[in-house]
Amino acid sequence: MRAIGIVGLVIMCFLISYLVPLKEAVSNDTKSCLRCHGISTLQKKLDSKEAISLFIDGKKFEKSVHGAMDCSSCHPGINLKNHPKPRKITGKKDYIKEFSPNCLNCHPKNALMKPAVHGEIVKKGEIYCSQCHNSHYMPSMKEWKNKVSFTEYCMSCHQFDISKTLPSKEKISLKVNEQEIKKSVHGKFQCLVCHDDFSKAKHPVYNFKDKKQYRTEMNKICTKCHTDKELQKNPAHYALSKTATCIECHGYHGVKPAKVAKAMPENQYCLSCHSRAISKKMKNGETLSVQVKESDILNSAHKKLKCTECHKEFSTTQHPIRAFESISDYRAKAKDICNNCHQDAVKRFDKSIHAEALKKGNQQSPECLKCHDYHKVGFITKDKKASSDLCIKCHGDSGKAFKDSVHQQAIDQGKQNAPSCASCHNSHDVLPTNIAKLGDSCAKCHKDVKTSHNKWLWNPPVRLTSFVDAHFNSASCASCHTKVEKAILLTLVDRAKGKPIKEDEVAKALNIDAKAIKGKIDQNGDGKVQEQELWQFMSSMKSKTNANLAGRIDVLNPNDAHKIEPKNKSIKDCAYCHNPNASFKTKLEINKEGDKAVKFEVDSKAVNSAYAIPNIKDFYVLGLTKIKILDILFFIALLGGIAFPIGHITLRILTAPIRRKKREGK
Amino acid sequence: MKKVYLHPLPIRIWHWINAIGFVILILTGAQIRFVDSMRLMSFETAVDIHSWLGFILLANYFIWLLYYLFTGKLFKIYIPPFWKPIEFIKRSIRQAKYYGYGIMVGDKNPHHPTPESKFNPMQQISYLMIMALLIPIQIITGLILWDPQLFASLAKLFGGIQIVSLIHTGLWIFFSAFIIVHFYLATLGHTPMAHIKAMFTGYEEEHEEH
Repeated sequence: MRAIGIVGLVIMCFLISYLVPLKEAVSNDTKSCLRCHGISTLQKKLDSKEAISLFIDGKKFEKSVHGAMDCSSCHPGINLKNHPKPRKITGKKDYIKEFSPNCLNCHPKNALMKPAVHGEIVKKGEIYCSQCHNSHYMPSMKEWKNKVSFTEYCMSCHQFDISKTLPSKEKISLKVNEQEIKKSVHGKFQCLVCHDDFSKAKHPVYNFKDKKQYRTEMNKICTKCHTDKELQKNPAHYALSKTATCIECHGYHGVKPAKVAKAMPENQYCLSCHSRAISKKMKNGETLSVQVKESDILNSAHKKLKCTECHKEFSTTQHPIRAFESISDYRAKAKDICNNCHQDAVKRFDKSIHAEALKKGNQQSPECLKCHDYHKVGFITKDKKASSDLCIKCHGDSGKAFKDSVHQQAIDQGKQNAPSCASCHNSHDVLPTNIAKLGDSCAKCHKDVKTSHNKWLWNPPVRLTSFVDAHFNSASCASCHTKVEKAILLTLVDRAKGKPIKEDEVAKALNIDAKAIKGKIDQNGDGKVQEQELWQFMSSMKSKTNANLAGRIDVLNPNDAHKIEPKNKSIKDCAYCHNPNASFKTKLEINKEGDKAVKFEVDSKAVNSAYAIPNIKDFYVLGLTKIKILDILFFIALLGGIAFPIGHITLRILTAPIRRKKREGK
Repeated sequence: MKKVYLHPLPIRIWHWINAIGFVILILTGAQIRFVDSMRLMSFETAVDIHSWLGFILLANYFIWLLYYLFTGKLFKIYIPPFWKPIEFIKRSIRQAKYYGYGIMVGDKNPHHPTPESKFNPMQQISYLMIMALLIPIQIITGLILWDPQLFASLAKLFGGIQIVSLIHTGLWIFFSAFIIVHFYLATLGHTPMAHIKAMFTGYEEEHEEH
């Protein structure tokens, strides 16, 4: 059917062709072609379903620079007698690509490469000759150049998908959407208004290193009209213009009027600048990114909040310019923002060891942002691992120690009541471990801890929980529930007040600098507090205060307290502690305000010395801290007790003759 | 031979419970203290026995106290005649001389026990100290050590658990020596078994003057 159709069409063309008037200027060869190709409805359907018109307007062709040429000049091998059978053409672009090399027959490549920009296009092969120059109706380039508008001239190439690859391997699209320009505030501008280094005759080539340099250079175009002076009228915008390029916010060609933005929803208004890679300079030279990702907010716990609910001093009309010393100064002040709603959390945080460390200038210590991030503020998660991982990021050693614990096992098994770090240490009021009462934290989950211990930990004949308390008060949970090295910790306290004597109070009492305390205690500087040194220190403290040493049993290395063993592996043997042979180390602990206590290793013999009686009044562990001299006294008394009867009997035996004589004398 | 009824039944019961209790308390006390070198029993067993016996002897103390309070003999037997101090001192010296010298040369014991005056001046002063002071103190310090939390305020009164423990251990040392000497002195009757027998029967035999 298709073949019959084509044959019929050819015959028709012939008949009609005689009726079509043809100009004399075109060659006979052309005339014969136009008999068919002069019919305006002649078209061909391609495999890509595109329709390609096969109509050639003879009049227009005649006026073109190629008007006097035979069709076969460009379409070699085709004439009326030898018209190829219907060709397979997959698509328009393929056809153009296939046909374009024919142009090179007359226009040698080296001639086309001469104008640098044209050469670049030819080399790249992104667009083909006919796309710019047309296929049949190409005017004389000279005439065209003179006639077309600047914009039309530029767009003749820049309407296409042309691009430029920079040395940084970044690619810049050079395609310009003319419609976008028309809709923009610069809609009436010709290209050359901005790009004044270009003209129909001049097309400079710039070699930018990367996009950043390109954007920065482009700024110069904008500032020709939008001068520094003008920009200074809006200080926020002016500050911004010093850290970001115009293009980043305003785009390339579709520059929108700034006033439109104010009608936007507030968050969108802020994000119209802050969604871009903009940054702020601190006084110390640090650069802080002030870019905000909308997705971060939308996925955060604060997704329903407007920007100004946190950033109260900002609005669509107000944008104060603030100055910060450093990023850490900025982050510390961010706490005030959180405090607007989370007063309770901030109050508790202010008591924490983290807040204290920050005050002392420890840059590593976290403020709100380090854990909660800027705009990503997460929801409170039930994922114990995720919340613990946050702490472990800094407290890696603790994380490692915790890994082997029964609690980690519970987390791994997905148990609902498994503890995270915050279960024991709290989330905001994280206190130094020596004052955090971590034993209470255990009891928060292990509620029946007293009665369960009382099942076996009691003294007959009455089962009293106070006996359990006596142990809880003087030994940490970890003392029995871990299998690590243990220690006797002697804390310097004011016995009358029942409170620790802190480092600064020691310094004050001894009238020395806090740094000199170590030397005052460890006088021979051997790194260990000898018995005599300890009692000397205590005696000088006691002359000024009610100093005494409170004692407790705990793990030697505080971090080991994380290694809690399963119940069946915990220590139940009383003689583990109640034993003079228990190899516990002894440490002297002096508390510090809001910080970890200072610890000194003490000669373990000290707790067994008679001097311990007046100096460690309220701590006594049967066996472990027994006063050794009493053992010697015991043996002397025993010997004395035995010696008396032996001596007396001996004397009675020796004096037996006297008594005999006396009796006989009677 | 004259027989004097010196030890009424409640006192004999009290004495022997106390005697066995004391020995076992001293031994378990030693086991608790020397857990590293003594292997009589485990620490836990020693503590259990020590605690049980402590309470038994506490109750036992009241047998003694209530008996002598109700019979009204406490004052007569245990309180030295402080209104005649010179005479008491003289008698004490005489008694000491007897044990140190007279007994060797065959002198008579200057003290003749009667139900109203069981003890010689040296016994009187030591038993008063032991019964009225040392045993109550040992019981109280023992109670504190039995549950330091329950008796925390009492411990504070003593000046801290360390001092409580010091007193309890000190008295343990004293009683250990005392028990040995006490046993020896018990053999110094007219026959070595005389006083011991009396503590079972209640009757002390006394040689009459010929």
